[in-house]
Amino acid sequence: MVNPPKLEQYQYDMERCIHCGGCRWVDHIYTPGVRFGVKCPSIARFEFDEYAAYGREEIGLALLKGELDYSPRFIDAVFQCQLCGACDAGCKRNLDLEPLLTLETLRARCVADGQGPLPAHKKVADNIAKTHNRYGSPHKNRPQWLADDIKPAAKADMLYFVGCASSYTATSLAQATARILQASGAEFMLLGGEECCGYPLYATGQVDAFIKQMERNLEALKKSGASTVIVNCAECYKTWRVDYPKVLGKSTADMGFTVMHIVEYVDQQLKDGKIKFKNPVEMKLTYHDSCNLGRLSEPSIYWEGTRGKYGCLEPSKEYRRGTYGIYQPPRDILAAIPGVELVEMYRHHENTWCCGAGGGVRDANKDFALWTAQDRLEEAQDVGAEAIVSACPYCKENFSEAIKNGKEKLKAYDIVELIAQAMKVRGGKR
Amino acid sequence: MSIAREAYRALESIVGPEHISEDPVTCRAYRTKSYRRETAYETICMAPECVVMPKTTDEVQRIVKVCNRYKVPYTPTSTYWYATSSPKKPNELMIDLKRMNKLEINDKHMYAIVESGVVYGQLQQEALDRGLYTMVSGGGSQVSVICNHINQGWSPLNYRTGLIGRRTLGIEWVLPDGEILRLGSLALNEDDYSWGEGIGPDLRGILRGASGWMGAMGIVTRLATKLIPFQPERLEPTGISPDTTLMLPQNRIRWYNFNLPNRESLERAMYELGWHEIAAAATKVPVLWRYIARAKSKEDFWRLWSQVTPEEIASTHILRILVVGYTSEEQLDYEERVLMDIMERLGGEFRRTKPSDESWIKNADSAGMWWMTGGYVSIEYVIETIQHGVKQGVAIADLKKKFVPPLVNDFGDPGWFQAVELGHGDYSEFLTYWDPDDKEYYKADQMYLETMKLNIDKGFYSSFLNAQPIWLTGPAFGPNYHLWQIRVKKAFDSDNLSNPPGLECYDEIVERSDHLTRDWEKGSMEEVV
Repeated sequence: MVNPPKLEQYQYDMERCIHCGGCRWVDHIYTPGVRFGVKCPSIARFEFDEYAAYGREEIGLALLKGELDYSPRFIDAVFQCQLCGACDAGCKRNLDLEPLLTLETLRARCVADGQGPLPAHKKVADNIAKTHNRYGSPHKNRPQWLADDIKPAAKADMLYFVGCASSYTATSLAQATARILQASGAEFMLLGGEECCGYPLYATGQVDAFIKQMERNLEALKKSGASTVIVNCAECYKTWRVDYPKVLGKSTADMGFTVMHIVEYVDQQLKDGKIKFKNPVEMKLTYHDSCNLGRLSEPSIYWEGTRGKYGCLEPSKEYRRGTYGIYQPPRDILAAIPGVELVEMYRHHENTWCCGAGGGVRDANKDFALWTAQDRLEEAQDVGAEAIVSACPYCKENFSEAIKNGKEKLKAYDIVELIAQAMKVRGGKR
Repeated sequence: MSIAREAYRALESIVGPEHISEDPVTCRAYRTKSYRRETAYETICMAPECVVMPKTTDEVQRIVKVCNRYKVPYTPTSTYWYATSSPKKPNELMIDLKRMNKLEINDKHMYAIVESGVVYGQLQQEALDRGLYTMVSGGGSQVSVICNHINQGWSPLNYRTGLIGRRTLGIEWVLPDGEILRLGSLALNEDDYSWGEGIGPDLRGILRGASGWMGAMGIVTRLATKLIPFQPERLEPTGISPDTTLMLPQNRIRWYNFNLPNRESLERAMYELGWHEIAAAATKVPVLWRYIARAKSKEDFWRLWSQVTPEEIASTHILRILVVGYTSEEQLDYEERVLMDIMERLGGEFRRTKPSDESWIKNADSAGMWWMTGGYVSIEYVIETIQHGVKQGVAIADLKKKFVPPLVNDFGDPGWFQAVELGHGDYSEFLTYWDPDDKEYYKADQMYLETMKLNIDKGFYSSFLNAQPIWLTGPAFGPNYHLWQIRVKKAFDSDNLSNPPGLECYDEIVERSDHLTRDWEKGSMEEVV
């Protein structure tokens, strides 16, 4: 049964926010100082408090109580945010509240009340409805990334869900991913007529459209017979693994299939000795934790119950605090590549600074998206990295454009490019 | 309602249209509900009518002058950890100082110059990177360094670093009327922050006194604070939220916990540590905090806490001691031997500790105080003697019994107290927790007021006078300190524009609250000359 959350469910969370700024600052244990000491791009860029989670919760509460009406500023505050979850991990270090779910639901409320989506988000939704991808490219072009040497199986237990970016704009990443799977001996199938996962819809509050997209994808997966969905896109990963069960009112564990990011797969294969990195990659790299693969990727755990004295929950709820995100596998992979020198940025793991592309920001406010990426590139340069590596096509795309526009001498890679190069399979890129 | 159009245009010309907003969305987002939320402060706090965000001292000065020209009341804030950081009068301007976030460290002379938006976590790391350190306020790592320096500044590390007022050096201060006053060596040289005592009278006492003005005396835009030499090893951050911690180099920094046989021996131990000039911090934390640290969830906390008995509280006298080998490993070894001798003599039972720190050195989890119940306030803060802290804690704990429930029952625990300045003083704090949804939540306010009366009755001191009814505590503690405060305020801010109602803030709260009763004579600020 579809069960998307409602804003009323988060009234307690909005009321109990104490404006401590945990949503804004890098965990003080890890803070490097003034520079790079903030982890929320929105408050860093727009500065007024309605652009921080604590301010959004205040205006969300005012909306819920009928004390504040919609206005252009309200909508701007709600949508000028990557939904990167920095606030969520920060808040939950000390408190049992749900700032990110509140913000997601606030967007959905705006859309339900006819105050959204933003025109750019509506355009993406229209594209998905008409062409099944976010770009509006012909659906028939989706499999064009398939090179002659890539031979998916007609039926397999593992299904490679390519995603919009790798299918259309970053096809080398799809090719690298497929070749890595092939080289490791994995048999994988593709989803005939694959469509967008729905991330751009859910992230922009277009829940009804998302539900339709989700239902189509789940039906297609069911028909395929596959039990493992493997992806190379962090947005797809989080959508399949977290948002589908969340909206269905289920736990990830009850979905009947497993979702795996390519870094999880490669990491396991490396540790099992089934993959070897032979080709050196002589480079000083820093790894950028994609929000949707890191702090936001913990499985959805369905909870239903009641709140009692002191706000205690019955039964107790297991909060998703960003503790068990996919952090170590990509680092272990990069560290295993001969020639790679891996350096850590100041903001990493659950404290990562978003690339800037998520939450519909790159679609609706590219300047903000690129400003955010620029800040990250400066951090990468500050630690002496020659290149920034992520595990999401959208991170790479945003970093690449920021590099092109800016002065940084950095390069941006997706991790599958380096894996492919280290494995000496085609698709690796320098 | 809104501020006068002329005033708005003048402010806009100072900061530019992108750094001023009177949009209701912005103003609502600034409606501070922190710290004392769900208490009587809620009766007085409101959203501002306009928010302005200066970047420089010059902008702050011009903004304050505009406020004086057009009689616009203003509330300065940067990290607003108090409800007093919220506007309390109609048509107020909020001056948000978060854009002023410059930090400079003078390694040679060991001090830092901070602007209003710099927070403790940032300053501490920048200091540690240079082999120096400061304290991190109990208010939290997220607290503005300047705000805390001119208001409170309590931390267990004050045991060794000294109280914050002694470490405050050059100060750049925009007075309530917009004039700039530079204190310390800044008075002679605008680039020299190194010296706290300037020519003529030392006005740091006017600026801060015992515990400050809560924004009612203009805006400090830049301030220098003394940094203290630390030990050279790196403190390694480790773990993933919520279990992040700072690993301590065990050859240089160690925690020790001892359970003393009784309160008297605990008090004696604090004095002896100071007499022997050892340790970097010595604190007795509430037993409840130990359960917070053990609990895996809020529900788990309540399961554990429900098993606590009064006997356990009565027999738990844990002294937590930090020892640092500032100069050498040998120093640590020496201090450890002295510590063990003291504890052996006093019957201290050694308890296991972790080789890490998550709550005092760099991070201070003040936000976690709201975790178990959603409602929390520190009823009392005091800098006095160790003996005073212990006695007052016991007396307030006794008073608290009248208010349990709705206040959480901690079975007579006398709160948190610690030695400061090598035992020459004590900092004590008495904390209360409750469920904000409890229909009798207001009893927290009643206890707050009763604690003031208890202090007066028993002769205890309070360092929280800036958040108490001035017409109650002023005559009792003065007998005329409140009159002098009023005179000073009038001399600097004759129109009472800087964070009104200022001195009479809590008096107004009492007047407005349905649950608080004034049974003391209230004077008139106007009549004080």
